[in-house]
Amino acid sequence: MPHLDAAYRFARWLAGSPAEADDLVQDAFLRAFRAFDTLRGTEVKAWLFAIVRNCHASTLRQGMRRSFVPLPDEAAGEPALVGAGPGPEQDSIAGDEQRRLERLIGSLAPEHREVLVLREMEDLSYREIAAATQLPIGTVMSRLARARAALRTQWLGESAGEPHAMR
Amino acid sequence: MQCAEALRVQALFDGELEALSAVEVERHLEHCPECRVLTEELARTRALLRAAPPERAAPALRRRIGRLLDAEAAARAPRRARPAAWRLPPFWQGAGAGAALSAACAAAVAWLLLAPAATEPVLGELVGAHVRSLMPAHLTDVISTDRHTVKPWFAGHADVSPAVADFAPQGYKLVGGRADYFNGQRAAATVYQHGAHIINVFTFRADGRALPALRSRDGYHIACWTAADLQYCAVSDAGWDELQQLGRLLRELSSADARD
Repeated sequence: MPHLDAAYRFARWLAGSPAEADDLVQDAFLRAFRAFDTLRGTEVKAWLFAIVRNCHASTLRQGMRRSFVPLPDEAAGEPALVGAGPGPEQDSIAGDEQRRLERLIGSLAPEHREVLVLREMEDLSYREIAAATQLPIGTVMSRLARARAALRTQWLGESAGEPHAMR
Repeated sequence: MQCAEALRVQALFDGELEALSAVEVERHLEHCPECRVLTEELARTRALLRAAPPERAAPALRRRIGRLLDAEAAARAPRRARPAAWRLPPFWQGAGAGAALSAACAAAVAWLLLAPAATEPVLGELVGAHVRSLMPAHLTDVISTDRHTVKPWFAGHADVSPAVADFAPQGYKLVGGRADYFNGQRAAATVYQHGAHIINVFTFRADGRALPALRSRDGYHIACWTAADLQYCAVSDAGWDELQQLGRLLRELSSADARD
């Protein structure tokens, strides 16, 4: 299935838990399948992200699921978003940093988080992000700038004095 | 206070500026320390965000969605065939519902009389469709070696949902799919490659007339079989054995799909 991993990652940032992300991706693929012959053009990935996003919006509207809950500091019970780091001695530092980063991304406003994730994690172009989020490109650009600035500020705020801080 | 050029600096960083603007912004960067810091920060944020290996969907989720889509495709394939040979002559069209039954009976009688000869035109059509498909840019409408791309595509473009899989390990690489119109239906053509040979597998609703299992025509080989209510016809210049082997693989797949 094309783009399943990407759709899952995106869903993971929208939904509150891995199980909800699973359900969301499943709904989205079924909906995409049914609408497949309405797809025009070649931006399949952006189109699919738009469907994931719409599915998420409709479950929120139905009040069936919670909105995003940041991952707990200690990955209690739930598998962490990130796998093993480059080496055993690096694992704990890199793992801590990654968990902190995920928490910070999770605490961004949803409209900032989605453009940031689509740009940095999924490497979508502005045009693709605009298609996926149904926003004008100018809005994509300004939200992306705000998302990056917010992440930077929070990272700096928490990292003051730490040796591996992103300054 | 942010520099007025910040958004364009960001766009340059994201590779979104066309050449002329890029030169302008690069010039601006030479004179604006604030935007140079911004660029460095963007790079650091990106490095941090991209440090972790990308997460992947769990295999169980992948399998679950695969099964769902297969079931969905099967459910969407039209239930019953409307045999093309039963279509009424023009002067019967518009007759009331009462006439339908007798018309069907008359058509059925005509069908029985015509049946033995009627398969030959179908074989001719199959070879014609195969040869047409080999002309430049006619082979595939959807190009993919992934059956989860090809199969859903058929659901929107053909009247049937054929068994599709990539048999690359067995020597039959899935190339893609195409919609074709014949026998009064939107038939599915699945394209496989075996060595240098292209094999078209045409699938349409079986209408009761038995197509010969093996036949050659104009130098092309045609292998036909049915699975459930679907007629499959593989056409190629590949040898008999190769063609029949693909037929076996697809029949196994059809019966495996039916068991699920």
